[in-house]
Amino acid sequence: MSSIDREWLIRRILLVAAMVVVVGLAMVVYFVAKESLPAFREAGPANLFSATWSPRDGRYGMLVFLVGTLTTAAGGLLLGTPLALSLALFLTQVAPRRSRALFARGVEILAGIPSIVLGWLGFTVLVPWIRKLSGSSGSGILAASIILAVMVMPTITAISKDALEAVPASYAQASLAVGATRWQTIWRVLLPAARPGILAAVILGMGRAVGETMAVAMVIGPASVFPTSLTTPTHTLTTKILMEMGESTGVQRSSLFAMGLVLLLLAMALVLLVRRVSRGREAYKVVE
Amino acid sequence: MRIMERATGMEEGKAGLRAGNDVPVERPAQRSGARPVSRRREGEMAEVAAKARRRAFLADRMARLGIWSLSALALSVVALVLGVILWNGLGTALSPSFLFGKPEAMREGGGIWPMVVSSFYLAALTLLMVIPLGVGAAVYMSEYAGEGRLTRLVRFGADSLSAVPSVVFGIFGMVVFVIYLDLGYSLLAGALTLTLLNLPTVMRSAEEAIRSVPVSLREAALALGCTRWETVKKAVLPVAMPGITTGAILCVGRIVGESAAVIYTVGLFVRKVPWSPLRPAAPMAANIWHMYTEGALVPDWFRVASGEAAFLLLLVLILNLAARSVAAAVRKRMGYRV
Amino acid sequence: MTAKKTVFAVVAVAMLLLLAAGCGGGGGGAGEEEKPELSGTLNLSGSTTVLPLAQEAAEMFMDENPEVTVNVQGGGSSVGISNVAEGVVDIGNSSRDLKEEEKNLGLVDHKIALDVIAVIAHKDVPVENLTKDQVKAIFTGKITNWKEVGGPDQAIRVVIRDEASGTREMFDEKALGKEKPVAGAIECNSNGIVRQTVSSTPYSIGYISLGYLDNSVKALKYEGVTANKENAVNKTYPLSRYLHMFTKGEATGLAKAFIDFVLSERFQNEVVAKEYIPMTQV
Repeated sequence: MSSIDREWLIRRILLVAAMVVVVGLAMVVYFVAKESLPAFREAGPANLFSATWSPRDGRYGMLVFLVGTLTTAAGGLLLGTPLALSLALFLTQVAPRRSRALFARGVEILAGIPSIVLGWLGFTVLVPWIRKLSGSSGSGILAASIILAVMVMPTITAISKDALEAVPASYAQASLAVGATRWQTIWRVLLPAARPGILAAVILGMGRAVGETMAVAMVIGPASVFPTSLTTPTHTLTTKILMEMGESTGVQRSSLFAMGLVLLLLAMALVLLVRRVSRGREAYKVVE
Repeated sequence: MRIMERATGMEEGKAGLRAGNDVPVERPAQRSGARPVSRRREGEMAEVAAKARRRAFLADRMARLGIWSLSALALSVVALVLGVILWNGLGTALSPSFLFGKPEAMREGGGIWPMVVSSFYLAALTLLMVIPLGVGAAVYMSEYAGEGRLTRLVRFGADSLSAVPSVVFGIFGMVVFVIYLDLGYSLLAGALTLTLLNLPTVMRSAEEAIRSVPVSLREAALALGCTRWETVKKAVLPVAMPGITTGAILCVGRIVGESAAVIYTVGLFVRKVPWSPLRPAAPMAANIWHMYTEGALVPDWFRVASGEAAFLLLLVLILNLAARSVAAAVRKRMGYRV
Repeated sequence: MTAKKTVFAVVAVAMLLLLAAGCGGGGGGAGEEEKPELSGTLNLSGSTTVLPLAQEAAEMFMDENPEVTVNVQGGGSSVGISNVAEGVVDIGNSSRDLKEEEKNLGLVDHKIALDVIAVIAHKDVPVENLTKDQVKAIFTGKITNWKEVGGPDQAIRVVIRDEASGTREMFDEKALGKEKPVAGAIECNSNGIVRQTVSSTPYSIGYISLGYLDNSVKALKYEGVTANKENAVNKTYPLSRYLHMFTKGEATGLAKAFIDFVLSERFQNEVVAKEYIPMTQV
């Protein structure tokens, strides 16, 4: 085969490799949607999005779990974002230069900890601790939020760090040259300039929090009811799917797939959101 | 000008800032049509400026303190996590009877050897599929693709796939590989699922490695008469290989730690070391979940689970270290960033 | 004959002898008469309560019959029953009896053990005994505070099993008279998680299979009777149920051999007796 033919063939093969992600995504959406059809047909959207989950009575409402997902994710972000941003600022602005690599390594390690190991830690240490402090069962939204905060922190830190480092040095230099303090520079110049990137980091962190399964499963209770406080058990979409898929048949199983579909759509929506937010990255270009 | 104003809060005391320094005060610049500023006004402005300055310093100090303490908190969390897990389980994890022992379903004294083998076996199978696909895709995206709609589609696909929750991958894998393709609960089904799960990250790291190869190398190869593929094969890929290797090692870490996608495709518990990729296996991450649920029949389930968690963590740490050393060693040797 | 041919002949004869010995000794353990070599794959799924027992049996069965592969999965009693009825697996494990609508699926029941369900509570609960009516009222939500049964003034946290669980089915039937448990009870997927939850949730109450009982939780007496094997055998403790292995139609071939093995005296007395009550004592 002449080298030109070979080039043509190789290009096509590589294109196929690149398309695998697209085809894969399509397949995931297709099969999850297909498996969830019986639920939509027999239970109907009104039932599926209602607030009662009681398969014995034919009620398959996922609202409880949706609320669980959103509250634990929000809690995780609330606790984790300030820590992550501080860490990012620390690593780029405040830490002594020599130790920056060391601390960055620490964050990297945290990113690599398997979620089940973190969940085990939550179950063996965090939940008993919360129980001792509050006298409740210890599991629930508070525990899940803390665990999620630990999980999303590396993500938000890494991306925010990139965003902060991408701000041209001249901005900070100009600011300091006019007599601004370090903090004024950070607060009024750097952070606004890096805002699109930081926003993207937080949204990606949210994606991570929404999709987290194992770590939350070991500290969330579980119980298929709305939580009445931060320390009463509940469920999230992911944990419900995890714990019940193996045991369900028929419409119940199909409604679990419907929950999976909701998660899928949520994930893709977040990706689109990140793109829209990052488009503003060019906002603070300065003619040098 | 706007930046400077915002930075120093000059809206509050324009001339005052200069007055706040220990520099002889000059008369502030005359605004057009304004009266000359009296000495009393100057003093007031200086006071306002000094206050602003003090406030700024106080804020700076507090912010610095806040950043240091929050960061210390964040970093101590890392130490805490590592410390507690390893403290509780390392003793068990490193004892040979545990590590190489056979698991028990009803009695005490079980080990985790089949689980360890399962994890590595799964990682090997997955890498076999995900590395060629990922590198191939990365080569296409960085060397062949334009900026057109196809590229954007591929990027969207990769980003979306990486945002999908792992449990959704698990139920997808169960429906398609375990049931539809009739592979049953098997390492192969798990490997196929994990390939899809890890493809975006491998693509990304391979692309980074490839893009960091200097253009001059490509140009040299082309100048010598290489076709595009020959350039890639002989000039670009060998140089990018260490970066790709780092990405592969990190990928192993992710595979070994993956639980939700594995539970529904590979299995939770086996007694024997798995030999065939078509039979169920029990990677460590899935087995820990099993110990938390059904495995709790065994009297020493807590010890087994703690030991397994500690071993898994140790493994991930070692892999992390290995990936970093490869990157560092190559960086030293070659002088470019990988 | 040349040396080569001699060696070949010796090796061939030796191998034949070994083969004969292997075939003949394939029975193992009981030292009974020769059985034909069993081979193939056997699939089981179903109750998570039966799971450890089935896995143990599978292991021992595979040791004795190296050509056989036995796969055991969980999923819950309901899943096991539907799986075996649909032919997805060869044997369906269940910790409950068949429901009305399942009785015409053509399934044959093999009882493999008697299991005891113990009512457990968090260790700090000072109550020692509950009557049948009290248990029923607590789990259906009519009694909501421990002070109504002689305990402290604290709300009772009820922990139950999930919907597909055979354990729950049997508990609901025997202890609750088929009434529904209170909404808002914590639902757990396995005996293990129930035990975890009860041991870690103050003022909680739940139920687990006796084999999972350990000293992280407190076992309550039911109608004044302690939950243990003796009381289940002599019928003074009512909360007991059989563990089943269902087959579609009469068990044949590999499935039959496996079930026979599970029901064999050796397995029953050595393994089943550890956590459950062997059929030999029933």
